[in-house]
Amino acid sequence: MSGSRKGTQPPNGPPVPNRDPARAIPPPPGRLLTRRSAIRAGLAGLLGAPFATSLGASTATRPLAPGLRWSGRQGAQPDDEIVLGVSAAFSGPSRGLGTELYRGAMSCFGQVNEQGGVNGRRIVPRLYDDGYQPDPCVENTLKLMLEDEVFLLFGYVGTPTVTRVLPLLKKFQDQQMYIFFPFTGAQPQREPPYGEFAFNLRASYGQETAGLVDNFIRIGRRRIAVFYQADAYGRSGWAGVRAALARHGETIAGEATYRRGTQFTSIMRPQVEILQEASPDAVICVGAYAACAAFARDAVDLGLHVPIANLSFVGSENLLSLLVGASRDDPAYYTPWLVNSQVVPSYEDTSIPAIPEYRDLMDRYDPQVPEELVVEPYDPFPYSFTSLEGYLDAKLLTEILRRIDGTPERSKLNDAVFSVRDYDLGIGELVSFAPDRRQGLQSVYYTVVEDGRFVTLTDWEAKFGPTATDDEAS
Amino acid sequence: MSQPTRHEIRIKRLFRKTRFGIFVLFGAIVFATSTLSIRTVSSQLEEEYESNSANIAKNIADSSVDILLNRNLATLQSLIDQFVEIQSIRYIYITSDTGEILTHTFVPGVPEVIRESDPHATEPVERSLPGMGDFVEIGSPILAGQAGTVHVGMDLDLVRLKIQRATGQQIALICIILIVGVLGSIWFVKLAVTPLEELLSYVVGLARRDADALNDAKVLARDDEIGEMARLMLHAVRGEASGAASNPGSGTD
Repeated sequence: MSGSRKGTQPPNGPPVPNRDPARAIPPPPGRLLTRRSAIRAGLAGLLGAPFATSLGASTATRPLAPGLRWSGRQGAQPDDEIVLGVSAAFSGPSRGLGTELYRGAMSCFGQVNEQGGVNGRRIVPRLYDDGYQPDPCVENTLKLMLEDEVFLLFGYVGTPTVTRVLPLLKKFQDQQMYIFFPFTGAQPQREPPYGEFAFNLRASYGQETAGLVDNFIRIGRRRIAVFYQADAYGRSGWAGVRAALARHGETIAGEATYRRGTQFTSIMRPQVEILQEASPDAVICVGAYAACAAFARDAVDLGLHVPIANLSFVGSENLLSLLVGASRDDPAYYTPWLVNSQVVPSYEDTSIPAIPEYRDLMDRYDPQVPEELVVEPYDPFPYSFTSLEGYLDAKLLTEILRRIDGTPERSKLNDAVFSVRDYDLGIGELVSFAPDRRQGLQSVYYTVVEDGRFVTLTDWEAKFGPTATDDEAS
Repeated sequence: MSQPTRHEIRIKRLFRKTRFGIFVLFGAIVFATSTLSIRTVSSQLEEEYESNSANIAKNIADSSVDILLNRNLATLQSLIDQFVEIQSIRYIYITSDTGEILTHTFVPGVPEVIRESDPHATEPVERSLPGMGDFVEIGSPILAGQAGTVHVGMDLDLVRLKIQRATGQQIALICIILIVGVLGSIWFVKLAVTPLEELLSYVVGLARRDADALNDAKVLARDDEIGEMARLMLHAVRGEASGAASNPGSGTD
């Protein structure tokens, strides 16, 4: 198998759905599809149709036809495929998240398909890029549901995107469309009125922030500030920190925000200065890697030497890569105060059964995002927390699909999911689902940077306790 | 260049006065119309924007009750983020019944002015936020204020810009009408002045007993008041001439 980005077929070999004649470069995120672009996409589709069989996983740019309705097929799939609808960030400052999650998932599906698929059906993702922007995500989801008639939604990235998709699922609830294992720990898909349309694997942001707050307070760092993305994701984390602090009789010491899509080259001095005024003992960042890396860089440069915690969504390897790249002489210059919470164990710990399995499949298939979705260069990591999560998502979904009795129909999904009881994903935590339990994993892990990589944090007191100095943190 | 004759100068002076009068009259009309237009457009647009902001605040307030009671702040943030994409709405924040800011759209942080303001205020209030500009903020209570208050900030600079643009367009239109009106008026005045110049030229010729003038059929052939006046003057001159001829010795004795 080739890992070349130039390849037109995903190296892990899921077959390409050929039913879609429109194969053109997708419009930039947030841009509405015009009549002209629709015609252009249609022409491109016509011209490209003869070559469609050689292309990778599909993309489409066709606008949604006005008044398009469900076909009434109730999610019935082709005889040899189960099509998963994916809308994620493959472009923009957060493209690393969508890419890594996809790579992890495809390493699993690659093996499944190679071994004959699920009950003879290959698992095929239908991909769209939303650039981590809500409006394109909604548009993509409508196309996935109404035009592509995918079986279920999978591999979505981000709170602001998923939060906007949930009402669509409620609107079409009679079609029993579900979203599986989105890459977000926000609450809206975990509670009424939308919780019944989503299944989560990862721990919630509430659990991550609570764990961080509890640990900081335990080591005497009670003044906790929040740096967060000014959107639903940031607010979700902010709310988690606020609730966790309230349990300890504390309030948020200070807060600063940034706009979604902020690049690493942006200056975060105003945000750092706002938080410096609050004299925090620690800062919890709720953001994406580019902005959080910029904040960590400027915090160190401006002398804010307190632990800077990031949630799992940040994309730890992308964050670290930016900070190491920004360091002039000492690669560890910007990283001694970092502590990242994770919702999967370390991919370095090969004593965990699922880890060698994951690493082996990543090595073997080295999945790449289809070329037509790559609009900006991105160098993927061999292994990452995000791709490990994607792998575990795919592994569990495969198990659920296997439990569907007979022909895959969406009406059978609930029963298949709820039949998962004490399932061993191979990470030391058993997974169970039930109507009132729609989140598989509960564990949160904490990591710090040592020797240029994230390792599990075992002693908070020694690393960040009141007696720890700058040197010890380093 | 030849020196203008005396009668030409007189006509031009008369014409200049008329032109000046037209300018003054049209200028006064433009000034009065523009002033009225600016005031009307300005107040109407301001009212409209305020009304829109109030409606948005009320919409958010109405739709946030369940979300707030469910403590789902991420969904609430998602809701206000959509409204902030509307032009002229620059910020939105929601305060709880205790006055805590639960969700907002400020970057890089909540301004001090906002933190120190009345969290339950609903009346329109003008705010100047450092580094952000001037705003009109309108509040709307959620569940009669029991669940909190929605605050919507409208960008006054943007509204002023839109008002300037709208009034500018109106003034431009009025100015075009002014120019066309003035030019039209000048043309009409000139239409009236040209025959007068012909008449004046004819009368001067008569006074000089200029043979060409006496036989100027053009002005005598006119069927309007100018023609009548020319014919009357010719008649008077001829009467005077014939009187002098029939009584050559009179007055000489």
